Amino acid sequence: MHSIIVVPPACAGPHDQIRIATGDRLTFGRASAGGGLAIAHEGVPRAAGEITAHLAFWLLSNLSEDQTYVVENPEGAGEHIKVAPGRVDAPVPFEFSRVVLPAAGDLLAFDVWAPRHAFRSVARSGLAGDLTAPAFALDRTKRYFAVLTALCEPRLRGEPHAPLPAVEQLVERLRPVWPTVTRSAVYWNIDYLAVKLRLRTDADGCGPARRANGKKDSLVSLALRFDLVHEGDLAVLGAARSEVAG
Amino acid sequence: MTGRHPHPVLVPHGYRIGNWEVREPLASGAFATVYAGRAAAGADPALPRRAALKFLPTGTRTPRQLRHLRELSEREVEVLARLRTPRLIRMFETLTVDDPDHPELDGATVIVLERAEGSLDSVLAHDPRPASGPAMLAQVCEGLYQLHRAGWVHGDLKPANVLLMGDGSVRLADFNMAAELHGTHAYAPAFATPDYTAPELLWPEMDERGARVRPSADIWAFGVFAHLVLSGTFPLPGGSTEARADAATRYARGAEELRLSPGLPEPWRRIVLACLAPTHARRITAEPLLRLVERAADVPRSARLPRLRAPFRHRHPVVAALLAAALVLPASLVGGGYAYVHYDDGTPVYEALPAASRAPTRSGGATSFGYHRCPPDSVCFFSEHNGNGEMCDWRGDDADWPAGDRPCAWAGGGPVRSIFNNLADGRKRRDVAYYRGSDFEPAGFDRTREAQRTGCTKHQAMGNLAGTYAPRSHRLVASCAAGESSTVGRILSVLD
Repeated sequence: MHSIIVVPPACAGPHDQIRIATGDRLTFGRASAGGGLAIAHEGVPRAAGEITAHLAFWLLSNLSEDQTYVVENPEGAGEHIKVAPGRVDAPVPFEFSRVVLPAAGDLLAFDVWAPRHAFRSVARSGLAGDLTAPAFALDRTKRYFAVLTALCEPRLRGEPHAPLPAVEQLVERLRPVWPTVTRSAVYWNIDYLAVKLRLRTDADGCGPARRANGKKDSLVSLALRFDLVHEGDLAVLGAARSEVAG
Repeated sequence: MTGRHPHPVLVPHGYRIGNWEVREPLASGAFATVYAGRAAAGADPALPRRAALKFLPTGTRTPRQLRHLRELSEREVEVLARLRTPRLIRMFETLTVDDPDHPELDGATVIVLERAEGSLDSVLAHDPRPASGPAMLAQVCEGLYQLHRAGWVHGDLKPANVLLMGDGSVRLADFNMAAELHGTHAYAPAFATPDYTAPELLWPEMDERGARVRPSADIWAFGVFAHLVLSGTFPLPGGSTEARADAATRYARGAEELRLSPGLPEPWRRIVLACLAPTHARRITAEPLLRLVERAADVPRSARLPRLRAPFRHRHPVVAALLAAALVLPASLVGGGYAYVHYDDGTPVYEALPAASRAPTRSGGATSFGYHRCPPDSVCFFSEHNGNGEMCDWRGDDADWPAGDRPCAWAGGGPVRSIFNNLADGRKRRDVAYYRGSDFEPAGFDRTREAQRTGCTKHQAMGNLAGTYAPRSHRLVASCAAGESSTVGRILSVLD
């Protein structure tokens, strides 16, 4: 698995994503054809910047003369860092990032994911020896975790053969804790979970609907098999769904 | 992961379970806590007085991870119930806590195990390069071989899971990650210790049953383990586990080379390299690995292994060797190790590499050559084709490679695959003749040859050999054209 995934603006699907591994550099700018990320806008410098993957995080170099770039954490309630012009290799700590470039009055953005962010228990730090660690590291504060929990909810509530919720139902279920949730945001999180949990891609059926369903099925099976979500996690969905509203 | 206390399962001192009384905690892993156990009054006299009690919180009141904890404890019990070999820790019984007054313990699984003196982890903490390292590695390798032979993958080989017994021997323990093979692979529970995890399993693709593991994952772990025990360091660079894991994936992609510790002694370097092949298919398998390890550790061959000795050894030696090579071929194709047979006089015959893998190529597809490493005015022998791999070089004769002034250790356990005669022009004796016996004596296949030697390489010649043997001695001769039995050759060498 490559450590950093760059999602170009208006990215149509996983095939347009650019995956880079530790030490790999990706340049972006107006002239970054052939291997780089091209951002077609007059206000963007020819070589606007560079992304370097490093372990589970990445570094941003601002190659512009006079523009400060902002890297936002879209789930971070305004959390962001600024990278001044000429700054080389500024580390970016977010799992999801949106790189915002000011360009002649417009704001252009593209996304960078760092799905290998790891989470370990601190409770056992006093123990000797190498820790046997789980293969999955989910951040329970992220929206993808809420989506996964909502997906697993019927089965966690003791209906082992319950049909999986449709995306519309997920949107309804998530709205109390995530007021701005949309269908596309839910789809986005399901896609991201497939990357994060490294689902095999060869098992996909044909057609987009079939694929989405297959993905949801696989996510739920994997999450329940390895106890990635359990009953206690239903708290991230807020109050239990009332029978009437359900 | 669960709870705030360093021990995942808290059991009161003196707690009674079955035949046992719980004493002090010995160790904790990610899921279980191991306590010392003492046979309680009235215990079954057939049981030992001391044991290790491994508590896995599988009770219904355990808040988290119930499902896979149960699966993990079942894996361990199944391995230990079905496999009883001298290199795996012994299980005496399993118990389930039935105690509604202790809800956090109620339903816990207790696995009663042989009591060890400690783990190799604690040995390494005091003595990073123990003198007993090679002997311990041979025993660990034997345990792995027994496990693989029975159709299981350990899945979590590391020093903390190698236990030291009272008699100084070691045994493998902790089979929570063990997986039974179905065909060529098994499904591992989704846990691993990153420093010992093969690169293909660091961020593996998942299907609904988890990630697929193969026995080669244990072989990789053994390579890391051996490097650590013998040199005190990890084989991959990096100051943190994450950095080393990243280096492992870079190595597997061909973006980085392995730089083993210079402190790693020679026969082991070759072994570690065979274990740490970047792809699972190129890693050595447990059986040839055990052979190499036992030879490197200089311990007697383990008794329970079937011998590869050719059954036809009283017939013509060439026929016997060819037949035997045919018999061992499939195993060595899978493992990439050195399958070999012995002639009556003990000369090994190795199997030649398949033609496709003789010439190592770089990423661009060009063949890579390593002859340039040969020092000036020397003869150089290489462990791989085209001057690659390990190299031994001499400026003069050597009557006994393993024991001479410049011992050539790797040739004691594997074939010589290429040679470069880089002797200077001015020499009188500037061709090199080599023999499978020491003291320039023919041995094994040599005896069937007219020249009564393995081969002879002319001045400034380089090239690949058959790759089925390793010489034990060589000497410089005036000319390859004259067989050593000829008077001309003898006279010329006297004059030199």
